[in-house]
Amino acid sequence: MKVWLEAFSITDFISVGILLTAVTLNAFKSIESYVKAYTINSWLLSGLIAVVAVLVGETHLYIAALLTLATKGIIIPLFLRRIVRQMRVTHEVQPYISNSVSLAISGILVAVVYASLKDGIFVTGFSKNVLQISIAVILISLFIMITRKKALTQVIGLLFMENGLFLAGFSLTFGMPTIIELGVLFDMLMGVIILGIFAIQIKRAFASADLDKLTVLKG
Amino acid sequence: MVAILIIPVVTAFICYVLRNARLIGYASLVGTAALALCAYPTVTASISTPVADLGGALSMDALSGYIMAIVICLSLASAIYSISYLEHELEAGLIDLRGVRRYYGLLQLFIFTMLIVTMANNLAIMWIGIEATTIVSALLIGLGFHKRPLAVEAAWKYIILCTVGITFALLGTFIAYYASTAVMGTEGALNWTALKTVAPRLNPVTMKLAFIFVLVGYGTKAGLAPVHNWLPDAHSQAPSPISALLSGILLNTAFYGIMRFVSIVGPSTGEAFTGNLLIIFGLISVGIAAIFILVQENYKRLLAYSSIEHMGIISLGIGIGGPVGIYGALLHILNHALSKPLMFFASGKIQARFGSTNIANVNGVLSSMPLLGTLTFIGALSLSGTPPFNIFVSEFTVLKAGVDRGLWPIVILFLLFVVIVFYGFLSGFGRMLFGKPEEASGLPAEDHHVGTYNAGNALSNGIMIVMALAVIVMGLKVPGFIDSTIRTCVQVLGVN
Repeated sequence: MKVWLEAFSITDFISVGILLTAVTLNAFKSIESYVKAYTINSWLLSGLIAVVAVLVGETHLYIAALLTLATKGIIIPLFLRRIVRQMRVTHEVQPYISNSVSLAISGILVAVVYASLKDGIFVTGFSKNVLQISIAVILISLFIMITRKKALTQVIGLLFMENGLFLAGFSLTFGMPTIIELGVLFDMLMGVIILGIFAIQIKRAFASADLDKLTVLKG
Repeated sequence: MVAILIIPVVTAFICYVLRNARLIGYASLVGTAALALCAYPTVTASISTPVADLGGALSMDALSGYIMAIVICLSLASAIYSISYLEHELEAGLIDLRGVRRYYGLLQLFIFTMLIVTMANNLAIMWIGIEATTIVSALLIGLGFHKRPLAVEAAWKYIILCTVGITFALLGTFIAYYASTAVMGTEGALNWTALKTVAPRLNPVTMKLAFIFVLVGYGTKAGLAPVHNWLPDAHSQAPSPISALLSGILLNTAFYGIMRFVSIVGPSTGEAFTGNLLIIFGLISVGIAAIFILVQENYKRLLAYSSIEHMGIISLGIGIGGPVGIYGALLHILNHALSKPLMFFASGKIQARFGSTNIANVNGVLSSMPLLGTLTFIGALSLSGTPPFNIFVSEFTVLKAGVDRGLWPIVILFLLFVVIVFYGFLSGFGRMLFGKPEEASGLPAEDHHVGTYNAGNALSNGIMIVMALAVIVMGLKVPGFIDSTIRTCVQVLGVN
């Protein structure tokens, strides 16, 4: 199994999958597809951790993979789907810029990350490419957050960012001790639930889930 | 030490299950007082020698003890003030019993999360604590959202900005962990106590990267410009006792994280790297705050921008460094934590009386409400940096540190900004305090909130008087025990 995983450089394949799911966000129009992309992204992340666990042979990585799968892969997507249904939004994402420009900019972001990190400044982890991919995922999701109008797209952008961050964490250190990972995942879960609650409240208070209505407070 | 963490959680539970609005307020007060009593021996012990518990997972030295003492004192003040504030909100129909139960439950949980930050011996656990403060306080800001759509807007901005920021801090923590495992293996590689001993051997390039991420992340939470945008919204929309906690201690707990990182990154990269970054962020914060204070029309937002200014001054103090700079910054943390909550408490009462947060709608506070007016006046003089009040002493100390090191451009810019703030702040509050009270405002002639004698009001006025006295005393002379505590903290941060 281990030999097979190494021979086909499975870690690289999976991390490219993670990058691609992040890039696809630029092209989607409905919030449901965003949630689906996030689900696939989380499953890939969890799979990557499991593969690394086999390669390194550390028990706490298996636990981390299971935890990631349970929270990011199952609980959060189910919760998001419920929120989407409850909000009865128009399901159109309505970006500030067109999808093709958005895709082009994401491509440029990935290129910039690769150019600036091409010497692998300090990584000695299992794969040099993984760190670059994770930084690219973080940048793309930040970009999605600032160019989309709906409250829920910001939440999903944030979740993608956190997936990118976990990827970076694994490429650097093979993960944190289990107790800390539990704490981080718990914080994240609570954060998403509360963001969901507020998204519904925004919808109620402003009769719309568009964030460009939130412009009263300034100066 | 574990008891300190258990008490707020138990109090939160009790507050949530009680069904009598009045009783809940006093239960929360008793719980916080018990917390203060229970923490007192630990805090005093930690200031002389570091104490640890739970097999080294919790650890406190003088700096944690100092910050924790501030957190607990302010929580107690806020618990006292909350009683009369919420009674008024209930009367005015802005909140229902369910809201009161939630408010006090969340207030106690908020205190709990801040205590975790000060007690954690582990970089990542501290991160978990800081992120938890965001989640709990966002709920407190957005509380009663059915009637206040603006609070939802503020809470949304707050949680999104701070979570993005703090995600960067986690990346920084990962990178620091990577650097430390290279030196000492995975065992205890995230513990302050362990990191401090190996700090000079950590890879400087990696630690630089880690520090930049951490500074941006925790800086967002501490309200440093240019990532401060959430702060004026959140502070102006939150209930007044919560604004006081956000400004007085939440910003400080985030800053505590930065200080801890400075103490381990400094020996690795050299003091100049961390110092310069902090000076730049500090100056930008003071400058931006000065401009916005000058044009501000809303007094709660004015106070919020003043928080950004004071966080900038603390950042400058740490950045300038040396024993004097750090001493000034730590003293400023305490002084700001006394004056700013006093002003937020006072502004809560002014808001209740005049029904507006606009400076133009409020005047003659000093003649219509002499006690409240005097307290506000003391707070305003203190916050604007007027001698002989407390903020002046610590600002002067930071300034002196800059002059000693010959950083003239910084000193001149700092002085310029502080003068602008002085003018903007006092002219704003001057318009509210002086002048003839308007009779034709349509409000009932008798002062239904501040003047009536009931236990809640007496308590809240009492705590404001105590805080004003502390402001005056700290301005005349820094008491001996505070002075020696801060000196120990300076040593803990590795500056001699």
